[in-house]
Amino acid sequence: MEKFITIGERLSTTAPTVNKAFLARDPEPILKRAKAQLDAGAVYLDVNIGPAEGYGEDLMKWAVTLLQENFDNVPLALDTSNKAAIEAGISVYNRSKGKPIVNSADAAGRIEFVDLAAANDAIVIALCNGEGIAADNDERMAYCTQLLERGLGLGMAEEDMWFDPLFVVIKGMQDKQMDVLNFIGDLTDMGLKTTGGLSNNSNGMPKHIRPIMDSAMVAMAMMKGFTSAIVNPNDLRLMETIKSCDIIRNATLYADSYLEV
Amino acid sequence: MPFTKKLQKFNATIRTVEVGTGDKTTKLGGGNTLPFYTFDAPTANTAKIGIEISDLGLAHEPDCIKEVYAGCETVADMAKKAITIEGVDFLCLKLEGGDPNGENRPVEELVAVAKEVADAVDFPIVVEGCKNVEKDAELLSKVAEALQGKNVLLMSAKEENYKNIGAAAGLAYNQLVGAESAVDINLAKQLNVLLKQLGVDSGKVVMNVGSSAAGYGFDYLISTLDRVKAAALGQNDDSLLMPIITPVASETWSVKESTATEEDMPEWGSVVERAIDMEIETAVACLACGTDAVILKHPTSIATVSKMISALS
Amino acid sequence: MALTGIQIFKLTPKKNCKECGCPTCMAFSMKVAQGAMTIDQCPHMSEEAVATLSEASAPPMKTIKAGFKAFADNKNDSEKEFALGGETVLFRHEKTFVNKTRYAVSVCTCMDDAAVDARLASVAAIDYDRIGDRMYVEFIAVDCGEGAAPDAYAALVKKADGAGRPLILNVKDEACAKAALDVCKDKKPILNAADASNYEAMSKLAADASVVLGVTGASAEELYDTVAALEKAGNKNLILDLGTASVKDAFEKAVLVRRAALKDNDRTFGYPSIVNVGKLASGDSHMQAALAALFTMKYGSVVVMEEMSYAQALPLYGLRQNLFTDPQKAPRIDPGIYPINGGDENSVCLTTVDFALTYFLVSGELERSGVPCNLLISDAGGLSVLTSWAAGKFSSGSIAKYIQEFEIENKIKNRTLILPGKVAVLKGDLEAKLPGWNIVVGPTEAVQLVKFLKDMQAGGQA
Repeated sequence: MEKFITIGERLSTTAPTVNKAFLARDPEPILKRAKAQLDAGAVYLDVNIGPAEGYGEDLMKWAVTLLQENFDNVPLALDTSNKAAIEAGISVYNRSKGKPIVNSADAAGRIEFVDLAAANDAIVIALCNGEGIAADNDERMAYCTQLLERGLGLGMAEEDMWFDPLFVVIKGMQDKQMDVLNFIGDLTDMGLKTTGGLSNNSNGMPKHIRPIMDSAMVAMAMMKGFTSAIVNPNDLRLMETIKSCDIIRNATLYADSYLEV
Repeated sequence: MPFTKKLQKFNATIRTVEVGTGDKTTKLGGGNTLPFYTFDAPTANTAKIGIEISDLGLAHEPDCIKEVYAGCETVADMAKKAITIEGVDFLCLKLEGGDPNGENRPVEELVAVAKEVADAVDFPIVVEGCKNVEKDAELLSKVAEALQGKNVLLMSAKEENYKNIGAAAGLAYNQLVGAESAVDINLAKQLNVLLKQLGVDSGKVVMNVGSSAAGYGFDYLISTLDRVKAAALGQNDDSLLMPIITPVASETWSVKESTATEEDMPEWGSVVERAIDMEIETAVACLACGTDAVILKHPTSIATVSKMISALS
Repeated sequence: MALTGIQIFKLTPKKNCKECGCPTCMAFSMKVAQGAMTIDQCPHMSEEAVATLSEASAPPMKTIKAGFKAFADNKNDSEKEFALGGETVLFRHEKTFVNKTRYAVSVCTCMDDAAVDARLASVAAIDYDRIGDRMYVEFIAVDCGEGAAPDAYAALVKKADGAGRPLILNVKDEACAKAALDVCKDKKPILNAADASNYEAMSKLAADASVVLGVTGASAEELYDTVAALEKAGNKNLILDLGTASVKDAFEKAVLVRRAALKDNDRTFGYPSIVNVGKLASGDSHMQAALAALFTMKYGSVVVMEEMSYAQALPLYGLRQNLFTDPQKAPRIDPGIYPINGGDENSVCLTTVDFALTYFLVSGELERSGVPCNLLISDAGGLSVLTSWAAGKFSSGSIAKYIQEFEIENKIKNRTLILPGKVAVLKGDLEAKLPGWNIVVGPTEAVQLVKFLKDMQAGGQA
C-alpha cells in the first residue's frame, strides 16, 4: 500500500492574496503559503493560476521555477484550463521529486488534457464527468473508461491517470454520498488511482464543522482505496486523520510520534 | 518473448554516516537498493565489518581469541592488533566491565580505557556500553566527552536513556549516536523521531534494531530488518533512513553451538570451527536482510564475510 | 492471481467492433474481470492473449516434487517426496514461506574412491533433532567430471545411491546422463543437465524417466529462453540452476528469477532454484557456509555444498528453521523434562514456558551456570512468560497439573522448584497446590540465572 498523497490546494488564484501576488509576480505571499502547506505535510502543491489568458505561460513558468527552487524541487500540480500555460510550466519543471500533474481532464471539453499529459509524460487528473455531474455510477464508469481508453491508447501507464469521482455537496446531495464512495471502490478494484477535491462535500457547512466532515469523508474514502486528495493541508484534523488512516492501511510504519513526522 | 529485467528502483537512499576522522573513516549506509541487489542500481557503499574487543581484555575469551591477541598486555595493545586484521573496517570497544551485575567497574576507569584505546589507534571507533541503561547513560556520555573530536559512534541510546546519551553524544560533543531497540520496528522508528526532536541530526544516527544468533529467534530479526528496509526505501520514510549496525559476535559466541566442548559433544567436531561458522552464517543472514554493518570477533569470520561482501559488490 | 480489467484490456484487439455485444473493448474487459463474460466471447482475441489469461489463474511459482525423503522432517510430515518451490511471497513477514531450502553434498568422478567413500560416509553423520525437526543432508549431488565415461559415471551414481539419499545428477553428456538414469531413475533424481545447447535431448531423457530436469543458462536471459523453449515442448517439470560463473552472478539470478515469478507474475521463471556453493567457493568451507546462509535467505531451493560439517550445519539448519516458521505463530518446545548439565533425579528443578525463544535463552544460561538441573516445560500456549501468565496459560493450576500429568514426583526426588521471577505472584498458590515442594522465586531475566544458580549451589541448595 502506497502512502496517501495530499495535494495542497492553497495556491489558488481564487484567494485574493494569491491572485494579487501572481499578478504582481510577488514571491513572498506565494512562498509563505507554500511553506505553510509543506510544513503541514503536503506532498504535492497545486498551482491554480486560473485561465490566465495571455500571460499564463509566463506566470506558470515563474511559479514553477519559484516553488521548485525554494522547496527542493517540490512536485506540483499545474491547474489551469490554459493548455499552453501547462506546457510552459512543464518545460521548466524538475522531475526529481515526482512527475508534474496536469489538473485536469474530463470526458467532454477537456479530454485533450489527457493528450497533453501523455505527450509530456505527466500525470493527469481525470474527472469522471462529461457535461455536468454524472447522474449515477454507470455514467461515471462510462466517462472513466472513455478517459482510460484515450490515455492507454496514447501510451500512458494507468498509474499516471488519477481518476476523480467528483465529490458532491452533502447539503443538497446527501443521498448520493455513498454512490461516490462506492465508485472509488470500483476504481480501486480496477487497479486505478484516485483523487479529488475532498472538501466539496462540506460546502456551505459552518466553519467548525467542515474539518470534521472532511475527516470522516477522507477516512471512508481511504477505506475504499482512495489514493490521493486535493486538500487544505493546514486543516490539522484532516491531516491527522489521513496520517492515522495511513497507519491503519499499513502505508506508513507506526511510531508513537507518528503525528509529529 | 525475451526476458526483460525489471529493476526495482526506490526514491529513497539510506543516509551515509561516516565514522572516524581524517583519512581513516568508514562510511555506513548509502544504499538505495535491497542488500546486494547491485543489478537494480549501483551500490554507493558496501557493508562494513567491525571487530570487537572488550575492556575486560582476554580473561573471558575462548582460547582461539586469546591466540589472536597473543602478546597483547593492555586493551590498547589489543586495539592495535585488531585493526591490522584483514577485512576490518572499524574497531568496536565494548565496555562490558561496567555492568553493575558483573565487574561493576567505575565509569572513570572505563573512560580511561576508552581514551587509551582511542589514543592508541587512528581508526574509526564504535564504543559499546555495558547494556545497563542507568550506567550507560552516564558512561557513554562521559566517553562522548572524553573522545571529543574523534567522531565515534556510541552504542546505544535506548528508550530509557536516549535523552542523556543523545544529548551528550549527539548534541554536546558532536559524536554519532546508536539508537537501540529490540526487534520492535515501531520503537525503532520512534527512537529516531525522539532523537530528532531532541535536536540530534538524523544524519548522525545509526540504528541497532536487535540481534540474535541463527536459530535463536532469528526469525524476528529477519522480519524486523526486512520490514525496516521495506519501509525506509519503499515508503521513503525519513525516520527510518538510518544505516543499521548489528552486533553479531556478542550473540553468537555464547550459544551452545559455539561453546559446547568437544568432550561434551564429540560428534560436533572442533569448537573453534563451530564458533566461526555460527558467527559467519549469522552475519551473512543479517547482511542479506539489510544490516549495513556487522560486529564480529574472529579473524577467519571477518575475512570470509569481507570476501563475500566484495564478491557481491 | 486474477487479472484486472485493465490488464485484460491490454490484451484485447482494442477495435471497439462491438461484436461481443459491448460498446467498447474496455467495457468487455471489465465484464470479463468481474466474471460476467468469458474471454472467448471476443472473436478477435489472439491465441497468445488467451494463453496468458488462462495462465493467470495458475499459481505464480510451481511446486516441483523430487527425490524421496530418507526421514520425515518432523512428526507431522507424511510427504514421501521433497516439495521444492511453490512460494507465494518474497519476504517471510508477508506470509509463511512454504517449502524450505534443502541441502546436498557432492561427490565427483574426479575424486578417488577413498575420498568418495569418506564423503558418502559423512552424509549419515549429520543427523539430529532441533525443536522437533530432523536435521540431515537431504540430497547427494553426483558430478560428472570432464571426459568421464558413461559406465564410470554410472558406477559412481550407483555408489552414491547406496548412501540412501536422492541424487542430483550434475552432468552435461547425454550418454552419461542416460547411463546414470538407468541406475537410479526410480528414486526420482534431479537430472541437472540442460542448457541452451542440449536441452532437447536432455528434456527427452528426463521426460522418459519422469524426473525433474535442471536447466542452466549463461545469463538470466539465456536461462529464460531455454525454459520457454522447454515449456513450449511440453516440459514443465523443471528446476533452475543458478550457475557457477560467480557469486554475484548466481545471486543476481536467484533474485531476478524469484522476483520475476512472484512480483511480476512471469511464470516462465516460476520454478524452484538450485545453487552449487561448493563450486562457487571450491575448497573454502567457511565461504561455503557463508554462501549457504546467503542462498538460504535469498531464494535457493536446493543448496549444494562440497561437504557438510556440524560446524556448517548447526547454524544453517537453525537459520532455515527460523526462516521457514509461520511469522504469526511462535515456535514451541514440546512439554517435558529437559535435564541440563547432567541433571538427574536429585537435581533442582526450574520451570518456564514452552515458547522456543524463552526456552533457548533459559537453557543457554542454565548450561553456562554448569549447575546440574532439570528444566520443566509445560504447555503454556507458546507465549512468553508474562503473556502466557496474563492469558491464564502459565498459572499455578497449569504448573501443578503438569507436575501431576508428567508424574514428576515419581521421576524426580528433588523438591525445589524455581519459578521465573516475573511470575513471583504464583508462589503462594503453588505452595498450596504442591505440598512438599519448596517453591523458590528465581530472577526476572535469564541472564541472571548463572549467578543465581551458582549462589544456590554455594549455599548448598542446588
